[in-house]
Amino acid sequence: MELFDYSLFASAIRMVSPILLAALGGALCARVGIFNVGLEGLILAGAFSAIVGNYYSGSVIVAVLTGAFGGVLVSLLFGLATIKFKANPIVAGIAINFLVLGLTTFGLRAIFQVKGAFYDKDMNGLPKWDLPLIENIPVIGKLLYGHSPLVYMAFFAAILLYIFLFKTVVGFRILAVGKNEAAARSLGLKVTVLQYGAIVASGVLCGLAGTQLSLGQVTMFTEGMTAGRGFIALVAMMLGGSHPIGIIGSSLLFGLMDAMSIRLQGFSMPTQFTAMLPYVITIIAMFFLKDRGLESQASGQQSSR
Amino acid sequence: MNLQRKIQQLLKPLIQPMIAVMIGLLTGALAIALVGESIFGTYKVMWDGAFGNFYFLTATLARATPIILVGLGLALAFRAGVFNMGAEGQMVLGAVCAALAALYVPGSGIVKLFSAFFAGFIAGGLWSLLAGWMEVKYKVQLLISTLLLNYVAVLFAGYLVAEPFQDKSGSAALAQTPMIDQSVWLPKLFAGMSVHMGFVIAVVGAVIFYVFLQFTSSGYEVRMLGKNPFFAEYGGINKHKVLLFSMFFSGGIAGLAGTVEVLGSQYRYVEGALTVPGYAWTGLMAALLANSNPLGTAVAAILLAALQTGAMGMERNTEVPLEIASVIQGVLILFVTAKFTLSWWKVKKKAGDVNGTV
Repeated sequence: MELFDYSLFASAIRMVSPILLAALGGALCARVGIFNVGLEGLILAGAFSAIVGNYYSGSVIVAVLTGAFGGVLVSLLFGLATIKFKANPIVAGIAINFLVLGLTTFGLRAIFQVKGAFYDKDMNGLPKWDLPLIENIPVIGKLLYGHSPLVYMAFFAAILLYIFLFKTVVGFRILAVGKNEAAARSLGLKVTVLQYGAIVASGVLCGLAGTQLSLGQVTMFTEGMTAGRGFIALVAMMLGGSHPIGIIGSSLLFGLMDAMSIRLQGFSMPTQFTAMLPYVITIIAMFFLKDRGLESQASGQQSSR
Repeated sequence: MNLQRKIQQLLKPLIQPMIAVMIGLLTGALAIALVGESIFGTYKVMWDGAFGNFYFLTATLARATPIILVGLGLALAFRAGVFNMGAEGQMVLGAVCAALAALYVPGSGIVKLFSAFFAGFIAGGLWSLLAGWMEVKYKVQLLISTLLLNYVAVLFAGYLVAEPFQDKSGSAALAQTPMIDQSVWLPKLFAGMSVHMGFVIAVVGAVIFYVFLQFTSSGYEVRMLGKNPFFAEYGGINKHKVLLFSMFFSGGIAGLAGTVEVLGSQYRYVEGALTVPGYAWTGLMAALLANSNPLGTAVAAILLAALQTGAMGMERNTEVPLEIASVIQGVLILFVTAKFTLSWWKVKKKAGDVNGTV
């Protein structure tokens, strides 16, 4: 068995999409001055509600919509706590993670009467798209061929977000809020509206990330299936400097590590060590962060700085 | 008048958690209603499951033991303004090292006992110190590095008990160490009840921590750094030293939480025995709920443990799944730092007045 081959990179691209989508959501929040530690919970909410939508409707499109809606619902709660009630965003984010973990396990019991994991053979996973032209490109074609629509959407969303943030008026306003909230407010910008907008958008993105997680590769939901991906996305966001194009790069790195950790299980290494790989690489990546990523007030609550 | 003001002062820090608790219980009521059970009946069953008789009460206290210790460790870090999220990893490493020390250190029971405590404390402390050192030296965000280190520690401990130190005596190959010798066990407080000596250690720890914060100069430095790092530095406090100090002790105490759980109730390290009940995260909630006050943390830890044991009793007797406890906890923490608007405060203050004059 080879360690590096086409299929490794192809699965890296598949693995990257949840991280990329969530990291983009986190970046939007960071750009309006809210450090969103609740990404993990938002993804989990998306994964669960996508499964619920799929189970009851049998339609993948409905599942994607409910997945996004689940993310939005939880993100609104996060927004309510942090913006309306001025709760500490870090504490509220951590609370969101717990709350969703509790709600989804509760939901598994209350809706599906199962513990741990839910799987149903009648559920449809996301389809694989064989885009006609891409297939013919040498090398890259093989990597980009036959993924779920959400994988393509993740990369598309990154480009779209880049254009939105840096080429449109609303985007500039968002950047202004993140740079200096008080100044933005004094200019008459509707800071609260922009913040809610960013949080809801991050809910959509994280919800889609969760949908890809529960319907992309496997068609099932397991308790806490995000397994730290929200935090890895957070690091990817910081490593990419909250810039959409930078985030594509950093997410690819973590997606590759995710894929490698699965590939390495084929070699005679204890699974515990291969499973550690993404976390260890993420920690090492943080050595190169220094002060990047966190914008002004977002770091106000920061540990020692 | 004076008395009234005093009571008000005493009640003021309680208002915020009280509102959060109320919202939490309301959410729980909603979930119970959704499942189609009677709200008050279910809460009554829950209360009985936590405090109903002596057996359940001691079960609650036994569950609270590691939660109190983890909560105290985190409260220390939070007081210094350090967001240590790594209690789970620190606790698990402490537990596995304590179990290994109790198994393999030669000597009598008491020697084994002390080396187990030492190993548990040092292992948790050093793991935590690693994150502190990365923050101080390389500005690696502690909030996130500690979170990621949890996964590494739990996987590593899992490897230790699945491969080199696995208990091979039984027929089923479970991921656990062999059982430690009975001479190293922490004694139970009451015969036949699950609460053990570790609970006393935890309560004494809370009192010591309170005295340390309030009456020693190091405690003052810790508090000052957490309240205002710029002023602390201006006043000549070495903030890196205090950060490393609080991270080491914070992790060490989390390690002790794992240690007492191994020596007092599991008698071996079993994979998942500490992570599945979520002791570390409940401890975090206790510290947040009590705003990192040591004595308050201990009380909050017992209440949260009661919520969990109560939920177990509820699951035995009703159709409501026990995960409702995690839902209530999540909502509670979500709103515990929320600042409710002025009108809310005024209403609450009036309520305080009434209490004062009655």
